[in-house]
Amino acid sequence: MKDNVRISSYQATLLIIAFRIVLAFSHQPAINAPPGNQDNWIMIFLSTIYSIILCVPMLILSNKFRDFTLIEYMKLIYGRTLGKIIGLFYSMVFLLFTIIFVSILVEILDSTMFPETPTWVTASMMLITCIYISYKGLESIGRGAEIFVPLILVVIAVIIILGINVLDFGVFLPILSDSSFKDINMGAIDIGTKFVDILILAMLAPYLDKRENLNKIFIKSLIYSILIVVSMIIVSQAALGIEQAKHANFPFFTFARLINVFEIVHRIESIYVVAWITSNVGKITGYLFFTTVALSQTFRKRENKVYIIPMSIIVFISSVLIKDKRSILAAKEPLNKISLFIALTSIFIIPLIALIVYFFRRDKLKGKTKSN
Amino acid sequence: MYERSDRMKKKFILLSFILCLTLIITGCWNSRELNTLGIATVIGIDWEDEKILVTIEVINPRPVKAMLEAKPADLVLYVQGRGDTIFDALRNISLKFDRRIFVSQNKIFIFGEEFAKKGFINHIDVLQRDHEFRETAYMLVAKEKKATDIMGVHEAVEEILGMYMEDIVENKKFNPKGVDVNLSEYLKYYYDSGRQPILGVVDRKEKNVIKKVDTHEGKKEYELVIEGCSIFNKEKLSGYLNGEETRALNFVRNEVKGGVIEFPTPVKNIDHYSTPTPSVKDSSSTISTLNRDKSVFEIIKSKTKSDVEIENGKFILKTKVKMRGMLGDVTGDIDVSNEEAIKLIEESCSKQVKEEIESTIKKVQKKYKTDVFAFGTLVHRKYPKEWHRISSDWNNIFSQADVQVEVETNIIRTGLVNTSTNKIKGE
Repeated sequence: MKDNVRISSYQATLLIIAFRIVLAFSHQPAINAPPGNQDNWIMIFLSTIYSIILCVPMLILSNKFRDFTLIEYMKLIYGRTLGKIIGLFYSMVFLLFTIIFVSILVEILDSTMFPETPTWVTASMMLITCIYISYKGLESIGRGAEIFVPLILVVIAVIIILGINVLDFGVFLPILSDSSFKDINMGAIDIGTKFVDILILAMLAPYLDKRENLNKIFIKSLIYSILIVVSMIIVSQAALGIEQAKHANFPFFTFARLINVFEIVHRIESIYVVAWITSNVGKITGYLFFTTVALSQTFRKRENKVYIIPMSIIVFISSVLIKDKRSILAAKEPLNKISLFIALTSIFIIPLIALIVYFFRRDKLKGKTKSN
Repeated sequence: MYERSDRMKKKFILLSFILCLTLIITGCWNSRELNTLGIATVIGIDWEDEKILVTIEVINPRPVKAMLEAKPADLVLYVQGRGDTIFDALRNISLKFDRRIFVSQNKIFIFGEEFAKKGFINHIDVLQRDHEFRETAYMLVAKEKKATDIMGVHEAVEEILGMYMEDIVENKKFNPKGVDVNLSEYLKYYYDSGRQPILGVVDRKEKNVIKKVDTHEGKKEYELVIEGCSIFNKEKLSGYLNGEETRALNFVRNEVKGGVIEFPTPVKNIDHYSTPTPSVKDSSSTISTLNRDKSVFEIIKSKTKSDVEIENGKFILKTKVKMRGMLGDVTGDIDVSNEEAIKLIEESCSKQVKEEIESTIKKVQKKYKTDVFAFGTLVHRKYPKEWHRISSDWNNIFSQADVQVEVETNIIRTGLVNTSTNKIKGE
């Protein structure tokens, strides 16, 4: 696949931005992260530093092994057996996140638009779309990002501008007097670890048309996504107040429901839902696609397409089982703890150990690194 | 050849699959046909026999011709449900009303006084949780009445109660003697430790009957008045402010966008080139100046800056109001074509607003002991460390704080005339 598939840096940046802002677009976990008050926007900015620190080992490795995906260079560094186990672990991580994203999508759709539609219908509607896009391959995903991500960003901007009369920025005062240094850092670490989309970037790296742009893509997508996320969170808090925003399952959606411009422009939350579904479909497709790529590379299969349907069936069954049992957004635990553990292990601990191993085995691996 | 027919077969299967999909992805599960819905425009909530009584005004759809001929009372229906919770009561309506209640178009919630006094925050969770309810619906308290006493009064051009009540609430921008607090704003204030929530007030008052041809003798007529506001101490209703006091409250909260101020006309004839008409001279000898000579200032723009200071351990609540506007009406013996006279009018208007604000703050401090002016929020912003210490006792501290009010009025227009109607230019 690698030889003939290419994705531009611009497309990659848009993809990562879209994947990252989906969370803020839906349930905004950062609003409830410590310190959980008017200083959360500062905490989110600070999380950028932690994201960079946590992603450094993976970035170094992806830069060293520009011709290889995360799965492939883990195999090279750790050896065949251990590499296979790690490859399988990453495949499961992608699969788990796909299940979580589908479940969240279903929960939001059921809560906001289709309360009576059975879970299996909403889940299958989404998954059929994602399967179709996944079959079309990475280039189509990249081109899709080029078309849809700017559209999603325009929708966010329009909603913010239309809702400007319900915003009260006074809620952000006083600054840094109700939060401790510890709280802000705890929150920043929590949010910093949630940048799991670095895994997608590590999988994308060998397909980039300019592989030397990897760091630029990482930094650009991180900064732009943080700016968008912060503006969405600021707007939600300014409109609803600090506490009400924490109560809301979907704060930005609730904010969109308050918009009323001269009695002409109101009830525009359906536009939000359309943009939100589009962004979620993109994210689920990305994760589903790379689940299959990770599996095909772990088991040395030439084509990833053979895994798309089986993985989709697993995602479908799991998400329906989860969603028919409980709400995953209301009761945040144990999902939060599981995601934190998996994110820390996959984006920091395993790559860090791999980097140390690489340091000791670098002479042996010399031929594999940096061959643009 | 075989390859081509295979491809056609695949396309056919795909097309059939897509056609089958249309059956399930059209949202059939959530389809709501208009002829199955009971569209709610006002929801009244009361306590009755230890149960929650929900009364809903539902639009009564009729053929166009019948609609044109119908009286306002025929255009709506009132349905009721009882239950332990609002949701339960709403669902119980389906036991006696054929259509499914659709609350997405609801404009107004009216809470009976008893319901508001008992603390309704425990019961309104569903209004925030259910996606069909809108956070933008206004909340009103029925003053000294039940919500059911309010519903059913039709005295406006708009025929549906919910529509015209919404319009009256939104008239706040022309007349700040009321408040326009919706569900989202109420919750925002409720969760804010530095200010207590307020809600609008609706009252049913007897009207002076105008004898139209078809009016029956002796029949009482009522109208709804949405004036003043209700004050809460967190979730419980503490009391009410009247229209003027509510205007003063709106001044302090910087929520005055327009409206008028009526103030005593200063008695000073400065312009030697005009004289009062005989009627002014006559009436001044018979009617006291206090009752007679009022002028009106129409607000074009108003801006309030509030502040708090701690001096010798005591809190001082400061409010500075700046108003710009035009002279709307002048009665009494004063000529406004003179700069000095305008200054006097401005001072009189400022004095009126200052007194209103001071007396309102004092009334709330002494009678209700609940900070609805958001001074607590200012303390939180300015003295955050102090706030952490005193926030739980803020209402008591607020009730003992000193008040300083400054008002500045600027008359930037005098309308289409330069001399009052009751004056004659020259001797």
